[in-house]
Amino acid sequence: MDDSDEALMARVARGDERAFRELARRHVPAMLGLARRILGNAADAEDVAQEAMLRVWTQAPRWQPLAALRTWLSRVVVNLCLDRKRKAAWVELEAAGEITDPAPLAGESTEAAEREQRLAAAIAELPARQRAAIVLSYTEGMSNAQVADILDTTVSAVETLLVRGKQNLRRALADVIDGE
Amino acid sequence: MNNDEFDKFLASALRRRAKASQSDQAAVDRVLKRLAGPLPRQHAPIWRWPTVLLDWQFAPAWPRMAALAACLAFGFAIGLTGLDRNIERGAGAGNLDAGALVFEPESLTGGRP
Repeated sequence: MDDSDEALMARVARGDERAFRELARRHVPAMLGLARRILGNAADAEDVAQEAMLRVWTQAPRWQPLAALRTWLSRVVVNLCLDRKRKAAWVELEAAGEITDPAPLAGESTEAAEREQRLAAAIAELPARQRAAIVLSYTEGMSNAQVADILDTTVSAVETLLVRGKQNLRRALADVIDGE
Repeated sequence: MNNDEFDKFLASALRRRAKASQSDQAAVDRVLKRLAGPLPRQHAPIWRWPTVLLDWQFAPAWPRMAALAACLAFGFAIGLTGLDRNIERGAGAGNLDAGALVFEPESLTGGRP
């Protein structure tokens, strides 16, 4: 049986709950990670991931395979995150106790670890769309065209968001960067 | 740190943090568990209405369809057996001789009324 995302969506559109659960198992981890990186709040990220998957279920009969399901789902998650950012305060990942694997940092100097924590705090201070662009581009490894598609804007607007985001980060981390 | 170095630092730091935060299986399980409950109603697109109307698979509604068909048959039977004639007769209008209203020419003279 064809178990591609598109085939599963076709079954979900016909009300197949088993296909929906298979899609959820496939996409919830990535969507949860994306929401958490944009929101910085583990509890809100879980709510967003759940809401995004429920939209997959309710909108499935109307869904047109114009773009990959993953791209559409990312757009739903980003939009839900941006909506939430207008309401809720950002909580750093460290404060939420979500960094479960400190191993990559263990071998590095505390200076590097501190620098990354400062970076996380600086990202938290960015405007929501700049943060979303930075997260999608650097963390998810998406092209500017994909980011533009998800943020429902143009490639040049994404480039502007990235440039401004990086400028803001550089400014916020000036003492750390210049200290080297 | 120049722009390229800052870019590399940004990319490596963010990817490392992403890897660290992705390994939270407990959170994934919680979301999947919440999704295991009853799901809301799906939104059907408008262009599917003709298909819905032509769909004869009334699987969950067969008793209702049977009741509707029985009502239709009952109504049809009443129409055939004429159980409703008494109502017309009671009103009086049903007893009029419609032939009296026809203006025929006089049989002998051919004159018209």
